[in-house]
Amino acid sequence: MVLKQKLHDAFKGTVERITSPRTVSAFKEKGVLSVSEFILAGDNLVSKCPTWSWESGEPSKRKPYLPADKQFLITRNVPCLRRAASIEEDYIASGGEVLLDNDDDENDAWVATHGTPKETKAGEEDNVPSMEALEISRKGPIQSIPSYFGDPEEDDIPDMADYDDPDNLIEADPATLQTTYLVANEPDDDNILRTRTYDVSITYDKYYQTPRVWLTGYDESRMLLQPELVLEDVSQDHARKTVTIEDHPHLPGKHASVHPCKHGAVMKKIIDVLMSRGVEPEVDKYLFLFLKFMASVIPTIEYDYTMDFDMGSSSS
Amino acid sequence: MEAKRENGSILQFAPFQSSVDEGFWHRLSSLKLNKFRIDDSPIPITGFYAPCSHSQVSNHLTLVAESLPADEDEQSSVPAIASGNRNRCSVPGILYNTNTLEDFRALDKKSLLKQEAKKIWEDIQSGRAMEDSALLSRFLVISFADLKKWSFHYWFAFPALVLDPPATVVELKAASQWFTLDEAESVSKACNEWRSSNSTAGVPFFLVSIASDSRASIRHLKDWEACQGDGQKLLFGFYDPCHLPSNPGWPLRNLLALICSRWNLKSVDLFCYRESRGFADLGLSLVGKVLLHGSTRDHKDLPNAVGWELNKDRAVPRSITLAKSMDPTRLAISAA
Repeated sequence: MVLKQKLHDAFKGTVERITSPRTVSAFKEKGVLSVSEFILAGDNLVSKCPTWSWESGEPSKRKPYLPADKQFLITRNVPCLRRAASIEEDYIASGGEVLLDNDDDENDAWVATHGTPKETKAGEEDNVPSMEALEISRKGPIQSIPSYFGDPEEDDIPDMADYDDPDNLIEADPATLQTTYLVANEPDDDNILRTRTYDVSITYDKYYQTPRVWLTGYDESRMLLQPELVLEDVSQDHARKTVTIEDHPHLPGKHASVHPCKHGAVMKKIIDVLMSRGVEPEVDKYLFLFLKFMASVIPTIEYDYTMDFDMGSSSS
Repeated sequence: MEAKRENGSILQFAPFQSSVDEGFWHRLSSLKLNKFRIDDSPIPITGFYAPCSHSQVSNHLTLVAESLPADEDEQSSVPAIASGNRNRCSVPGILYNTNTLEDFRALDKKSLLKQEAKKIWEDIQSGRAMEDSALLSRFLVISFADLKKWSFHYWFAFPALVLDPPATVVELKAASQWFTLDEAESVSKACNEWRSSNSTAGVPFFLVSIASDSRASIRHLKDWEACQGDGQKLLFGFYDPCHLPSNPGWPLRNLLALICSRWNLKSVDLFCYRESRGFADLGLSLVGKVLLHGSTRDHKDLPNAVGWELNKDRAVPRSITLAKSMDPTRLAISAA
């Protein structure tokens, strides 16, 4: 599996180097984006949802076909209050669709539930189990193994946590709020420990000609999570299949990413459904549709993708 | 999270919290190996923060790769830190990166904090902090980068000038309950304009002036004198990284020190500005009336300062090990 992935990466890298980026729009035909359409859609996302920003990332990783100051999109410190893994049971029990399995009817089922245009939304949304209403499963608590420090292989690192402050640095100050490290007050009140935050970034994947989502997770005290733990916040249908841990194209380190191999096909289906309802999708709205689609993969990461406007110019 | 009862109505501030991107440590390692080498002089760095944008989590002071000076070989191609990025309000900081763990432990943390507090105090006295309000918040990081093991030990401090006696709260509630409907609408609009303009998006301290016809405008701190005598409501506003409904966040402390020292006010109205989905949220934002009890003659000497960050309620440094993404041997093995 690993070897296969590496071979594919090498192949993909070669193809990316020798092919020029897409310049002709195939948005409606294939659900893919050209580089300039990605920039257009990204600019629109940043202006409608200002928690997103363009960033330039590592200079050494800069892609020449993207503007230096618009290499990728990022929204930081996005809350994730529950583990997707632990709400899964309830989701299925409440009649939720099995999301985006293969190229069969289930794509349509997904589209029918999530991709409804405004006018029919109210009625159909009743079918979508509300995430708010879901009880967190008390069974099988998720172990929150904190971040990178305390790596068992690194025994010889002096444990700084054992080294208590000799300088009496923290003075009694009546104006300092004391309970900042939020600990659970009651034995079963561990919601605070469940509160992770994410940096969610969107890059342009030149090979698949689609956006690609990357996740960097942090624990409740904002220490980096190992990418493997990020899989707890991915819908279990996707955790071991479409979500993989790879090098980020613009940032250092390994990050979890939703593999883009099906993105074009799914986006094409969403666009087809919109068009069949007389809505002409506009390419600058692509990322809103895309992020709504991503919400089925990472249902508990509360990034912003406001949808309270038309997806396109309605021809009807 | 409530203020402790025995403290009655002392205004309590939620401490700033730090967050460090992996990219920061990667660039620091590269700079240490290629440029600084054994030179351990302090390095000016830039931290970033933004107003709280979610009712359930506070924002952090974040360090990213661009917080550090560029690597020499990259210098030509690096654009200056994008100004006007509303999600990145700059905070000036300083990094003491030691060569050994012993040096790290031996740093005189009290005096380092005092040095940074002194800079804030001098900027208040000279009036620079009124011209450039970003100078009211500063931070300091001490670190030891163990490049043999790819582990980093570090400790943040967010120096806050202490008011003695402390400020007390008369009232503190959601801004939406404090303003009239018309005022709230006008304040939201003015704040959103302030936040979407490149020239003001990164200005974290400001004045909210509300005229008798409920029309609000946002003004720079230096316009305080000009705002007097108009019979308007005048509030001191700041980008509040804190999400708690009961307490303002840390950056307010140095603004109050400025207010005491410059204008010697006894009673002030505060506006703790918070957002949701990137836009003004007056349900989340707080307005408070607080009393300041200092006397003028106290305002000459450098006040005491506090601000070392706790690590899970303990006064210890934080550590992170990045061998998995930095150690060439491990990278080679995982790539084989």
